[in-house]
Amino acid sequence: MTLETKRYVIGSLGFLFLLSLVFVQWMETARKAEEAGLRKAQISVPANSKACVDCHAQANPGIVSHWENSPHARKGIGCIECHQASKEEPDSYLHYGEQIATIVTPRDCSRCHQTESEQFAQSHHAQAGNILASLDNFLAETVGGARMNFNPHSPTPGKVVDTVNGFANAFSGCQQCHGSKVAFQSTDGGMITVDDLEPDENGLPTNLDAVGRIVRDDKGRPRFEAGTWPNTGIGRLNLDGSLGSCSACHSRHDFSPRRARQPENCGKCHLGPDHPQKEIYEESKHGVAYRDLKDDMNLDADDWVLGVDYAAAPTCATCHMSGNLRNGGVVTHDPGERISWTNRPPVSLVMDTDINHQIVKEIDPEIRRSLIHDTATDKRNRMKEVCSHCHTPDYVNAFYTQYDDLVILYNEKFAKPGLAIMKALLDQGVRSKTQFDEEIEWTWFYLWHHEGRRARHGASMMAPDYTHWHGMYEVAERFYMGLIPQAREMADHAIVNGRRRAGNAVNRVIDDILARPEHVWFSEGAEKQAAVIRDEMERRYGSVDGN
Amino acid sequence: MSVGSWITDRLPVSGEQFRELTNEPVPHHLKRWWFALGGTPAYLFVVQIFTGILLAFYYEAAPATAYESVRYITEEAAFGWFIRSVHKWAATLMIAAVILHQMRVYFTGAYRKPREINWMVGMLLLICTLMTGFTGYSLVYEQLSFWGATVGANMTDSVPVIGGFLKNMMLAGESYNQRTLSRFFIIHAAVLPVTMVALITVHIMIIRLQGVTEFKFKDEGDGEDKTFNFFPDHLYTELIIGLVVMVVLSALATISPATMGPPADPLTTPEIIKPEWFFYVAFRWLKLFTGTAAILSMGFIVFIMFAWPFVDAQIRRRTRFQEASVWIGIVGVLAIIGMTVWEAVVKH
Repeated sequence: MTLETKRYVIGSLGFLFLLSLVFVQWMETARKAEEAGLRKAQISVPANSKACVDCHAQANPGIVSHWENSPHARKGIGCIECHQASKEEPDSYLHYGEQIATIVTPRDCSRCHQTESEQFAQSHHAQAGNILASLDNFLAETVGGARMNFNPHSPTPGKVVDTVNGFANAFSGCQQCHGSKVAFQSTDGGMITVDDLEPDENGLPTNLDAVGRIVRDDKGRPRFEAGTWPNTGIGRLNLDGSLGSCSACHSRHDFSPRRARQPENCGKCHLGPDHPQKEIYEESKHGVAYRDLKDDMNLDADDWVLGVDYAAAPTCATCHMSGNLRNGGVVTHDPGERISWTNRPPVSLVMDTDINHQIVKEIDPEIRRSLIHDTATDKRNRMKEVCSHCHTPDYVNAFYTQYDDLVILYNEKFAKPGLAIMKALLDQGVRSKTQFDEEIEWTWFYLWHHEGRRARHGASMMAPDYTHWHGMYEVAERFYMGLIPQAREMADHAIVNGRRRAGNAVNRVIDDILARPEHVWFSEGAEKQAAVIRDEMERRYGSVDGN
Repeated sequence: MSVGSWITDRLPVSGEQFRELTNEPVPHHLKRWWFALGGTPAYLFVVQIFTGILLAFYYEAAPATAYESVRYITEEAAFGWFIRSVHKWAATLMIAAVILHQMRVYFTGAYRKPREINWMVGMLLLICTLMTGFTGYSLVYEQLSFWGATVGANMTDSVPVIGGFLKNMMLAGESYNQRTLSRFFIIHAAVLPVTMVALITVHIMIIRLQGVTEFKFKDEGDGEDKTFNFFPDHLYTELIIGLVVMVVLSALATISPATMGPPADPLTTPEIIKPEWFFYVAFRWLKLFTGTAAILSMGFIVFIMFAWPFVDAQIRRRTRFQEASVWIGIVGVLAIIGMTVWEAVVKH
């Protein structure tokens, strides 16, 4: 072989080597950029989901795009793994050769995420659908809507409206957060829900008659009752008997841990006049730090353990769910595990819970002790573990003293007395059993459900303006200027109408409450206290004339 | 008194002797740049020493601090990202240049008598270069570099008889521990560079003693000089290559700077473990042939590469296949390229 030939051999192989080197470096650089989180990971579509992806990339490119950016896609989890269903499942149908179901329930997710599903099932989140039988829902279904369809009373130009859906408020309002009772359309014109299907422990229906009545289209696809689906409420009552919806927090189809870690995610539901946790958080130092230091939050970390992966600021997930250095990085999907007061009801309760995660309301200490499975102290200690990453024990304990004091003040000064007055009115027949048909019922509802919660939640998450001006200030105004005068007026009205005993009984309850030291200023004045305050102001700021 | 005479009064080297020392006659074919690739790894080696010293100012070789110190270099130290990126890319180019140089030497038969020893010195330099790359990547202490080192140590363990000892020496214990990183650091920043300086010195000394292999191409006339001066003619060629390499290095460091993966987590095995690209071929080989068989066959191939001048001499003496080495080389290079690309393409 001549030197010239060898020259070409060296040249060709050298070129090929350099070419391969460029290619390999390209792949290597891409791989490292993915590891560093600087570039989207390359994903390969699992074979059994290829047809789904190909078709839906045309029909619903957003769905496919979200999935492509998901941890599922990176781990080779495709469409079928989540949407697969057996023929026995009432919502399943044959879709281009695959038996699937549209709605993915926590039972489906538990095939891979068993621990998370079990934790979630025990949480208050999973019970959020209980609102369907609560006072709030009476407001939405009856007061704000109607528990029926009724005829429109005048035409709507440009649109044919032949019936008004009285449940629309509940469907689009309450149930989008709390969860709907998912329902099929029934051939008899009604609805078929989990109550009709009577699923067994595997989630399969036992009432085949109900299954037979499900309305299906010409492709065998079941028709859902539009008001109940789409719905990603966190306490959704699913057709397989499971409760909740994982996508309430882990939005489909990207299931982004990053998003679930951010307060905006919780803010879909935890906001507004009755439970403004999102706004309270934003006002607190925690929220301020988060906004400023979001770039340092390492939100894309695999585990996201406080004290290991980040420490810049806490989010909702940090305190209530995520792992931390002190607890070994253990995540919980039951936010109640670290909450020591429930501030949801009119009177706050200590979160001692029984074996079924229900709050123990027993008063007798012995019986109470025997029922408690997880104490409020244990729950608080779990939360303190989180706090201790940034605060000393003295600081944390003192905060909890401030918080406890505020909740107890609210309970004792306004909530329990308010409850007693409302009870007296009802017991004496001075107000009707029907809720919200008398002004005082609205007054009371505003007091505890809106303003009282704002005060308590504000104190729980260190938002002073919500604690006082949006909270206790409005509670007090509602109590003294609304509830008391209205109750007095109803009692006096009863007396005038010949029901002296009932009216006097109500007045006695009010008198007893207002005679208490903390209320006495209202009936007897508080000039002495006001004078002390005035003197103090003058000492500090000089004359306060005109104020 | 002139500066020149001031120096020659104190150092017994005359200008004439110095010129003779530097003006080694260089064969004409070295005017072709691809014959001058031997100087490129040497140049890149100097770049590595320089950038390596700068990085060592900040690097802390302990599991608790290593990753953070590399992060500090990459994100906070002035020009730290650039120095680290140049160091990383110079390592890649150095290995590539060594391989290209070796390919040229191999296919032109420049390893044949009397240059067998220098071939083996070159092989030692190749192994030292790869070892330096391996230990250097491990120092980052990110998830993949940690697990790459662990896999590498386990591979060493598969070597019969001495495997356990080698692994123990490598990791400073039975498994990755507090002392492993400092050991890697000393090997990477002291043992291997000093060894390489010694080997490079021997490599160049042998070249000077034997002279560079002379080739004559068709397009060279008979009347031309067979050689030209090292200084300044060949030095210019080397300088041009050096400057081009520096431009390429700067461009690569800027366009694709060194990144930080997740920190090492000894309790979590990553889904995908990949070594650095220059071990892809070995990694793929291990996947094709499992366990001790893979290690032994790989060791055998390395041994054959070492002893190739003698093996080739036997083939040429005992058979009629005088150009067998070229064909074996073509198959070998294609296999190496093929397996490297294969490993780069597949996820697992």
